[in-house]
Formats: sequence, C-alpha cells, structure tokens
Amino acid sequence: MFNRVKTGALAALAMALATTSAFAAEKKLTIGVADALTGGGAVYGLPQANAVRMAADEINAAGGIKVGSDTYKIDVIAYDDKANPTEATNAVRKLIDRDGVKYILGFCCSGSTSAVASFIGNEKAVMLVGNAAERSITTKKIPNLVRTRPPADFTGQAAGTFIARKGQKRIAVIGALDVGFYAQYVDSVERELKKVGSEIIAREVFTLRDRDMTPQLTKIRALNPDAILVVGYVESAAFVYRQAVELGMNIPRYGFTSGSEEQFLRVTTSAQMEGVWDLRPTELDLLSASKNGIAYHANYTKRYNATPSPSSPYAYDQLYVLKAAIEVAGTVDDTVAVARAIRALAIPPQVVMQYLPVDGKMFDVNGQAYTTNGAFQWQKGKWVFVEDLPSDAKAYSQFLSTLN
Amino acid sequence: MLIEILQQTINGLAIGGVYVLIALGLTTVFGILGIAHFAHGSVSMFGGYLTFFLVTSQGLPLIAAIPIALVVGFLLGLLIEIVAYRPVRNANHINAFIVALGLTMMVEGINLQLFGHEQVVIPTGLSKVFRLGGITVPELRIYVIIAAIVLVAAMMLFVEKTKTGQAIRAVAENRDAAILMGVNVKSIPLIVFGISTSLGVAAGIMVGALFAIAPGIGEGFVVKGFAVLILGGLGSFPGAILGGTVLGITESIAAGFISSAYKDVIAFVVMILVLLIRPQGLLGRSP
Repeated sequence: MFNRVKTGALAALAMALATTSAFAAEKKLTIGVADALTGGGAVYGLPQANAVRMAADEINAAGGIKVGSDTYKIDVIAYDDKANPTEATNAVRKLIDRDGVKYILGFCCSGSTSAVASFIGNEKAVMLVGNAAERSITTKKIPNLVRTRPPADFTGQAAGTFIARKGQKRIAVIGALDVGFYAQYVDSVERELKKVGSEIIAREVFTLRDRDMTPQLTKIRALNPDAILVVGYVESAAFVYRQAVELGMNIPRYGFTSGSEEQFLRVTTSAQMEGVWDLRPTELDLLSASKNGIAYHANYTKRYNATPSPSSPYAYDQLYVLKAAIEVAGTVDDTVAVARAIRALAIPPQVVMQYLPVDGKMFDVNGQAYTTNGAFQWQKGKWVFVEDLPSDAKAYSQFLSTLN
Repeated sequence: MLIEILQQTINGLAIGGVYVLIALGLTTVFGILGIAHFAHGSVSMFGGYLTFFLVTSQGLPLIAAIPIALVVGFLLGLLIEIVAYRPVRNANHINAFIVALGLTMMVEGINLQLFGHEQVVIPTGLSKVFRLGGITVPELRIYVIIAAIVLVAAMMLFVEKTKTGQAIRAVAENRDAAILMGVNVKSIPLIVFGISTSLGVAAGIMVGALFAIAPGIGEGFVVKGFAVLILGGLGSFPGAILGGTVLGITESIAAGFISSAYKDVIAFVVMILVLLIRPQGLLGRSP
C-alpha cells in the first residue's frame, strides 16, 4: 500500500514537473542576416554580421526578448550575399521560405539591398537595412523596411559645406561613381561648393575591383586641383591615397569611405595617410563615442580579436531596435505590428550610433534614421574626430518624403 | 602634356611587366602543348598569397620568401602537369579545356580556404618616391620593372641558349621531328609547366606588392594574359613581351587621355584594331 502511494506521488510529481517545464520552456526567435561576408563588400558586411551576433548574445545573456509572459532567445542565421543583387535575393528567399525567418538584418551594400527592397514589401517579414547608403532604398515608402544609416547625400551636403569652408576652389573627384550613392554624395558636395563659387573640375572613375589608380591620378595631377575628393570602398580608396602620395600630390585629400585604421593600414602606411579627411556619418570613433560606443568597441575587439569597422554598429543597433519594437508590439508573429512599432520608437538607450531624432522618433515617416555627420582626420596612425558637420535631419527628411 | 604622356607610360610599364610575365607563362604552355591553361591566373595568385603568408605569418624577409615561392611554384607546375593535364594529353582538346576550367575553380577554392576572403597586400617596406622633372616613380615600381626585365631575359636565355630550351623549341616547332631527333618529349611538358608556373608566381608576387591579391583577381589577369597572347602572336615569346608592354601602356594612356571608365574597353579595341591589320598578332607568324 505504502509503495503504491509512493509510486503515485512520484508519478504526480513527475507530471507536474513536466507541465511546469513545458510552460517555462524558452522560445527561440530566429533572426536572419543577409550581408557581404566575402568579396569586396565584406569589409563592411562581415563586421555587421559579427555585430548582430554580438548583440544577440548580449540580449540572450540579459534574459532575451520579453513578449508577454514568454521569453525569446535569439538565434542568428547569416548568409553571404557577396554584395551581389542575385545572391542577396537568393539569400533572403532562403531565409524567408526555408528557414521561416521574419526579421532580416544586415545589408551593407546598396546594389544587393536595393534588389531585396524591391520585393520585401510583399513579404510577411521586416527588413532592417544597415550600411547601404543608396537614397532610393527609403524613398519607396515600404512599410516593412527601415534603415539605420542615413543616405549618402545627407552626408554629402554636410561634407560640401565643410570643404567649401576650407576655401579650396577647384576640387577633383575620383571614385566609384558608377555606384549610385557615391554619385549622389558627390552631387550634394558640388551643390554646396557652387554656393561659394568653388567647383568640381574632374570626375574620374574607378571600379570596385581596380587597384591601380595612377592613370586617373596622373590626369588629375595635370589639372592642378586644390584638393581631391575620394569616394569609394575602403580597399580602393586606400590605394588612391597611397598612389596620390607616390605621384607627389601634396594637396588636401578628402574622402567618404568609413574604413577603420586597420583596414587602411593593410594597403597604405600611416605616413601616406597623414592629414586625410573622412567626411562621413559620425560612426564609431573612440574620441566621439558615447559610453555605449566605448563598450561596443571593447567588447567587439575582445570577442573577434579585431577592431570593429566604424559602420558596424548600424547592424548592432538594428537588433536593439527590433528587440524594443517586439516588446512594444507584444508579438513576434505579427510582422505588420512590429514594423509599425519600429516606426513609432524613440531611440533605444542601448544603441551605439548617435542618432538625430525626427519628431522625437528614431525613424522618420520614410523609415529612415539619421546620425550626426562628422569630420575625421588621420593623425599619427588614427582617425581623429575633429568636428561635427552641420546636419539638418528634419529638413532632409522632408526632402526625402518628396521623392519616389 | 609631354610630362603627362611620360608619366602615363611609366605607370603602364609596371602593370605591363606583370602582363608580360603572365602571358609568357601562358604562351609557353599554349605554344608548346596547345593547352589554354585558364588556371594560370589563380595559380599566380596562389604564389602571391604564399609569399604574403611567408612574410607576415612566418616572419621571413621578402627577399627569402620570393625564391621559396618561386620553387614552390615550379613544383606546383609539375604537379599540375602530372595530375591534371597528363591524363588527357592524348585525348580530344575539349578534355584539356574542361580540365583547365575545373582546375581554375579548384585553385580558386583552395586559395579561399587557405588564405581567406580578404584582400592582402604583400608588405615590402619600399615607400621611397623618385622625382625627375615632373615625373615621379615609386621605388617599388622600379623594382617591379627591373624584376620583370630580368625574368624575361633569363627566360629568353634559357630558351635560346640551353639544350633544354632548344628541346622545348624543337617540340614546339615539330613534335614528331623532335622525337626522331632523340628529344625526351615526356619531360618537356613537365619543364614547361614548372617554368610557366614559376613565372606566374613571380607575376602574382608583383601584383600582391603593387596592388592586392583577393579572390577573383587572378581571373582578370588571365583574361588580360590571353589578350596579350593574341595581340603579340600565339606562341611567340617576343610577341608576349611586346604585347604585354603595349597593353599596359595603352590601358594607362587610355585611362589618362580618354576615360578611366573605359580603359579596359579601349585596350581591347586597340587589340582588335591590331588584329584587323595583322591577324597573326604583332610578332606572330602568318599561317
């Protein structure tokens, strides 16, 4: 009799434990990352993917995402889109169709991002764009797409004002001008230069795979410019800076590249970089960074044994934005509600970049976030933050709203 | 204007030297064995990667890493001939063609696995710049041009003055006659692949030092190498030298005086124009 009671009690206890553990089971939320993990765009894409993984681990360690009484731990699947539109389309289709992913982050490069943006509006998914700077990504009013990086011409306007103030009259441009957002940046710079009577005297092109820019630089040198402006990926831009010195061009060099010290020093020497300006969004830089930025830099460096690229926090911030929005929306399944919540968010306290709110919100009506812009100069082996560049997010947001 | 032309010519000479070395390797293999060795560019880049690895990870000075890479290149050439091309030597030409394509993908994959996806630049420590009048020449480019001249001269001496070189030429001229004259034709393909790959490795080192090595870069160089081959004349060593130099300088001048956006196109247009006038290439023999 005693044994029968004991067995019954144990069975009841086991059942109770099983039921409790079923209710307390952690749920999993799978987040997709589509980014350039190899190839030319990997200098931006790989650090972005790393940043998302790091943010996921931080959020998981802090308890995960709370949705009502449920807690979700984040799992990250990252696919390489090689910064290629076809690969990006395939990667995102795989994430949505095969892996059942509803939230896709990353997107460093404009061509591949634009390809995905063209169909994401028809999907039950939310797309958070990082470093891709092509303006048209946020002019199409796609309700389930937002971007953490400001468009290139928003920064170009600020850069143009800065260069104009320096007093140089004849500027020669060399860059990846067949890439839309670089051309938009230069157009914005030119508009500001014209206001003070300065001009762009040459627009020389290199492709993303070019590494010998001496023919273009020789042509520019013959025009006797007061300064050069270099717009392009870090790997190509680094060669321009190096080869300009090798051709004896001792004039101010401005750029729009967002490369880290480590990335530039793989190609050039610090002496060849001395004095170069990078006029870009105020991305990660230890001299201008907030407490979050300093912690991000330290954690990333420790975890990956490499310094983070300045633009990598765009992706890190995406995950904190998503976490906040899911918690506000109270659902992980209703992507429409989450997308709506993202647009209504104030800037989450955990983000690294220094965002400029529009009407108190992180994203404007176009789904576009804005950061401050800054002038950075290479001084003795490091990018040094010198000053903020004038950046009117509200005015630009209104302008963006007028575009299709 | 004159200074600009001279500067563009000097700019083009360094890259022209790289084209010459790539084309010499290709023309040796094609002229003697009739194989379009598409993997040559990827193998060349392997040499550049290897040099980078020896210098940065093993701490070897560049001057020691280069001969090691050249020797490894030679051995790799032997291996490629034995494993990849020898089995299809007597088969239809399409077999060797497919092997060449497969080998290209394989070597690219090996490069990616061994050395990663990031671009690498071989550190040389050569950053001096020489100025003469209005012309500037970086120290590194001077060394690259000199190295290319020395290698080309050594190759020409080898082919013209040594018994093995004469045997290679004999096989290229008439394989059957060479057999009748007692030439060991079995060893010739081995030597040809060894030398060709070593030249390619030298070109890879130059690309890695001047510019950068990254996945896919080799393919671009092999396309240029074949263009030089056709421009100079198939199987002609002097043609490869002239063709590579002409292509390098044309690219540079086209980018400087016409448009940098079309420099590759313009270089190929020049090639087509030359072929319209001389279908056998600049120094090729009429059929």
